[in-house]
Amino acid sequence: MTASATPCFATEGLTKRFPRVTALDDLTVAAGTGVTGLVGANGAGKSTLIKILLGLLPTTSGRASVLGLDTATQGPEIRRVVGYMPEHDCLPPDMSATEFVVHMAQMSGLPRTAARERAADTLRHVGLDEERYRPMGGYSTGMRQRVKLAQALVHDPKLVFLDEPTNGLDPQGRDDMLALIRRVGTEFGINVLVTSHLLGELERVCDHVIVIDGGRLLRSSAIREFTRAEQTIAVEVEEGQQRLAERLTAGGETVAAQGRLLTVQVSADDPGRTYDAVRDAVCDLGLSLLRLEQRRGRIEDVFKEPVA
Amino acid sequence: MTTEPTAVIHDIGYRHYDGVRLGRGRATLALGVQSLRGVFGLGRTVRAKIMPLALAAIMLMPTVVSIGVMALAKQFIMPYPNYAVFMQAVIAIFLAAQSPYLVAPDLRFRVLPLYLSRPLTVTDYVLAKLTALAIALFGLLAVPLTIQFVGELLVDLPGPPHTADYLGALGGAVLYAVLLSSVGIALASFTPRRGLGVASVIAFYMFTAAVSGIFAGVLISSGRDSLAGWALLLNPFFLVDYAQSALFGTTPVNTESAPPGIASCLILLAVVALAVTGVLLRYRKAAS
Repeated sequence: MTASATPCFATEGLTKRFPRVTALDDLTVAAGTGVTGLVGANGAGKSTLIKILLGLLPTTSGRASVLGLDTATQGPEIRRVVGYMPEHDCLPPDMSATEFVVHMAQMSGLPRTAARERAADTLRHVGLDEERYRPMGGYSTGMRQRVKLAQALVHDPKLVFLDEPTNGLDPQGRDDMLALIRRVGTEFGINVLVTSHLLGELERVCDHVIVIDGGRLLRSSAIREFTRAEQTIAVEVEEGQQRLAERLTAGGETVAAQGRLLTVQVSADDPGRTYDAVRDAVCDLGLSLLRLEQRRGRIEDVFKEPVA
Repeated sequence: MTTEPTAVIHDIGYRHYDGVRLGRGRATLALGVQSLRGVFGLGRTVRAKIMPLALAAIMLMPTVVSIGVMALAKQFIMPYPNYAVFMQAVIAIFLAAQSPYLVAPDLRFRVLPLYLSRPLTVTDYVLAKLTALAIALFGLLAVPLTIQFVGELLVDLPGPPHTADYLGALGGAVLYAVLLSSVGIALASFTPRRGLGVASVIAFYMFTAAVSGIFAGVLISSGRDSLAGWALLLNPFFLVDYAQSALFGTTPVNTESAPPGIASCLILLAVVALAVTGVLLRYRKAAS
């Protein structure tokens, strides 16, 4: 994996056990600058990882660092220079967005006048106009997410943790939020760690994606490699699945078995070759083809062990 | 031929902040100031202002009457050290109405994680909230006392002014502020629901007041006066009244059968310590 001199964050054998569940299991991963996506199903350990990186949760074993600062001993220093947008709702309904963001800026150590200026600036950047003077109780989900993002950015952090920022948004709101996150990473020059359970969503905005499942690292790589690996086709035949897999593997294709389905990775250099190979193999072996379809964005497809 | 534009709007884009970043202490102070303003409804809706300002106005009424009597009848009717005991119901309502405001919304709307994702610690947060409420309660008591004292000086009654009593009552106001704020926050912080918080604080006051009154009455009627004083300590207002008397030499409201002064001071200290520890433990748990 490639990272700049000081990685945004890095973990080493990070393990976190709760009384009844292991949230993170020997996780070693690092992220460089830019926008990093953290993908995993619900309960994969994403939020736990963020809490540890904020220095709020002690680790069971292993270590973690953020911007070169140790989470175990330098929590307060970390929290001065990072921003955090939680997954859950966190807005008091009787305050206006302006009041709230000014207050949160002061809580990050900005003097009152600077806090006012930064709050106005940040709310404008996230796209909240006149409504920012109204009590937040009447906001739509999209507006609430924007305020949550604004309070995470108001003190101009070096790194911002966004926990499921697209949660609950409609497709248009999702697109807007993703575009905003991309701008934070590029135009604003703030490093971003954004979590989601949808890989397809993150591939649009991230430079790098980390996939965890059950607290273990599944994969960490640049987004380019990801989308390439992600293009697969699913093949289902009546019988002779094993023979087909062997034939395709012999022909140089990467094949994985998944129940009654075979997933074949599409060659990045010559996509046509893979399709031709599948067609020819099915014909030559005289198999009855039940299904042949393109697949995208299913995390589990990407990480199936190839058939030997 | 083109004309030069006279005005241009520039999109200056995102600007980084390179000004000062103050430490934890200043953030805690800002939180305390915001909380203190909020206790009196400042910076909140009109509806939120009614209750605290009305109660503050009621607290001033005996003062106005007392100054009037001093001016017209040349009589001193209300001793400073007894003011809080006399007004205990109003103070208890203020405490019940305002302590949940300080802690419940942050729990209910889950704002606490945002505070804790900043340099602020749980201890800073609790300290800011306790101090804000304590200052508010001190003000609630000290302002009427001070107005009455100024009135007494201006009316210039025969005999020396009650300066020692006034100062003792101010000392007592500090004790009331510390005890009531820690108990109020402790009770209110156990529920994210503001209504429940209000109910639990007022129930606590009514329960302790009733129990101490009943016990004391029964003990006095059965002739065990020395024990009655101890029963009165159950009521937080009488507890402080006895401690105030022990520390500042004022005359307590219930003169008969007062328990040793040191006992009331120690009990006061123990209750405050217990309440503050409870709040800290509760927030440590909420934070993880």
